[in-house]
Amino acid sequence: MVTRIKTRPGRLLGALAVSLLFAGSAQAADPDKFKIGGVVSLSGTYGIFGEDMRKGVEVAIEQRGGKVLGKPIQVIWEDDETKPQPAVQKTTRLISEGVQVIFGAVSSASSIAIMNIAKQRKIPHLVTMSADDKITVPHGSRYTFRTSNTLGMEQRMALSFTKEQKLKRIYGVTADYQATRDSWEWYRREAEKAGVEIVGADFAPLGNRDYSSIVDKIARSNADGVALFMTGSDAVTMVKQAGQVDLGKTRKIFGPVIADETMAAGVGPASIGVYSGVRYHFSVDNPANHKFVEAFRKKYNELPSSAAGEAYDGMSWWLDTVEQTGSWDKEKWVTAFENSVRENSVEGRKAMRACDHQAMQDGLWGVVEKGVAPAPAYTMKIAKVFPPNAVFDPCQP
Amino acid sequence: MSTLIIGLSLGMLLFLLASGLTLIFGMLGVINFAHGALYMLGAYIAFDIGRHTGSFVAGLIGATVLVALAGALIERLALRPLYDRPHFYQLILTFGVILVISEVVKVVWGLGYQESTMPPALAGTVDMFGSTIPVYRLFVIGFGALVSGGLFLLIEKSTFGMLVRAASSDGEMVRLLGLPVASVRMAVFALGSGLAGLAGAIAAPLFPIELGMATNTIIDCFIVVILGGLGNIRGAVAASLLIGLVRAIGYSYMPSWVDILTFSLLIATLLTRPQGLFFRATRSA
Repeated sequence: MVTRIKTRPGRLLGALAVSLLFAGSAQAADPDKFKIGGVVSLSGTYGIFGEDMRKGVEVAIEQRGGKVLGKPIQVIWEDDETKPQPAVQKTTRLISEGVQVIFGAVSSASSIAIMNIAKQRKIPHLVTMSADDKITVPHGSRYTFRTSNTLGMEQRMALSFTKEQKLKRIYGVTADYQATRDSWEWYRREAEKAGVEIVGADFAPLGNRDYSSIVDKIARSNADGVALFMTGSDAVTMVKQAGQVDLGKTRKIFGPVIADETMAAGVGPASIGVYSGVRYHFSVDNPANHKFVEAFRKKYNELPSSAAGEAYDGMSWWLDTVEQTGSWDKEKWVTAFENSVRENSVEGRKAMRACDHQAMQDGLWGVVEKGVAPAPAYTMKIAKVFPPNAVFDPCQP
Repeated sequence: MSTLIIGLSLGMLLFLLASGLTLIFGMLGVINFAHGALYMLGAYIAFDIGRHTGSFVAGLIGATVLVALAGALIERLALRPLYDRPHFYQLILTFGVILVISEVVKVVWGLGYQESTMPPALAGTVDMFGSTIPVYRLFVIGFGALVSGGLFLLIEKSTFGMLVRAASSDGEMVRLLGLPVASVRMAVFALGSGLAGLAGAIAAPLFPIELGMATNTIIDCFIVVILGGLGNIRGAVAASLLIGLVRAIGYSYMPSWVDILTFSLLIATLLTRPQGLFFRATRSA
């Protein structure tokens, strides 16, 4: 396996000119190497996720001897700095360098930007992290596939949790941007249909630094559940400050993506008892996952994060599918992948849905508990597994 | 009433951070973009010292001293040769310092979130005005008031303060009188940086410690500097409390409008009193 890391920002015009000049050669497969263009966040807000995704992909490639279709695999890594504009520039440059597939990105805005280029240039595009539902819509892009979770499945699990816990009064706090607002509005509508009263709803600016006033309002309300539609630093700050007045002792705190081992490390003891949707988790009990966790720990001396696990899973699945076609024709890879099933995924069975290129899979719902070594100090415990039909809508024609 | 307490704590935290910025801005005329990065560095250092010694106070002192030393080093090695150049050289330099500090933090502490626990004596809550208020928030208010009083005395009443004000008003004259202007400037930069480190250490138990922790806060700090008037400590206290209260009231009644409210205050000030809300005209010869 050959890995090259490039993080210097490129120039858009230069990249465009080069890509136009070599547009013809980009379509021709390089028989000497199988080139993967990885566009992930190695800096910026989601820098931590990109680094983990790279680790997951490297294990996936190593496990197959560094080869596919009999040729060595080369990954060219690019940093999109967690912004769509660099993602566009770097994807364009990678395509001009003749990559056979684009892998990434972390943020949904970047993934959607890459998706449009991949569609125009007819290059397969693999998403294993971004959750925006718009990435996999029925009859969207022929070339983009997502093997990881959607925000939709996570909000359905949050709703199901509300009903199962018999929560009657919910206070919602949402990061003020489109994807989370859409998600909250869906949840609010469905919760009210189920007889749940929404006693408060606040929309805090993205990247908000202080939630103490909102926490105070929740503490003075009669809510029995606190639904948080936010993630990353926002979720960490909110849950940490809720813990400063012991809000979690009297109310259930939950949300689609508000906790994993990384976020819980930032919150500390207040994260215990917080419920959240979970993506890949190292504790999933199946032989494929045991093998992956062992290989990952041997290579990096740590347990794989959800970003690493999802990246490993998606890339292994993609490379196996390419291998099975025995061809260098990208169209054949795309056709094969949209009809493929991964029986031995590290998260259990996954089946690619041809109508929207979304992998149908179980939904994992977990709660933060105190971890026992080698697990981190605060670790997710899977509380419930939802079958695919409980977390995905059928594809609309 | 609880909104008032929360507003005061937000304001005092902001003051701790903005005071160093306004000091450097007012006394040296340097717009220190790296102030937020020094605040972040302070939070990481306090977290690490706290983790190894178990002492919150050791973290507080260690972060202040080490970040002040880092500030002195930055001033001596990078800023001093640029004082006579146009301002944009200093802007670019301090922007470069952000990148260096961020890389150092990334290498030493990694990309993940870190968590600093509150000292047990300040970890509880008290019930006031129908709300539960963390004791630590009350500590921040008291500590901020103490620091603002100390700074006021240092700048306005001490010999060192007099020297700083003289060097700021006419550095060449002070130098001709045989006084060490270069050392005074380095001391001011170190003091301002130390205050950023102290603010980081105080903020560490309240917020997640991460690489991006200064991004939004630093914008509020620049607003405080503009509202308060350059180098005006009393102005910085008043402006910080004003921003804190505006934010607390905003979060209570219309959270999605908080940023608009804060920036409206800034725009209104720039239009009506561009020299700052708390600017005092000084007598000149």
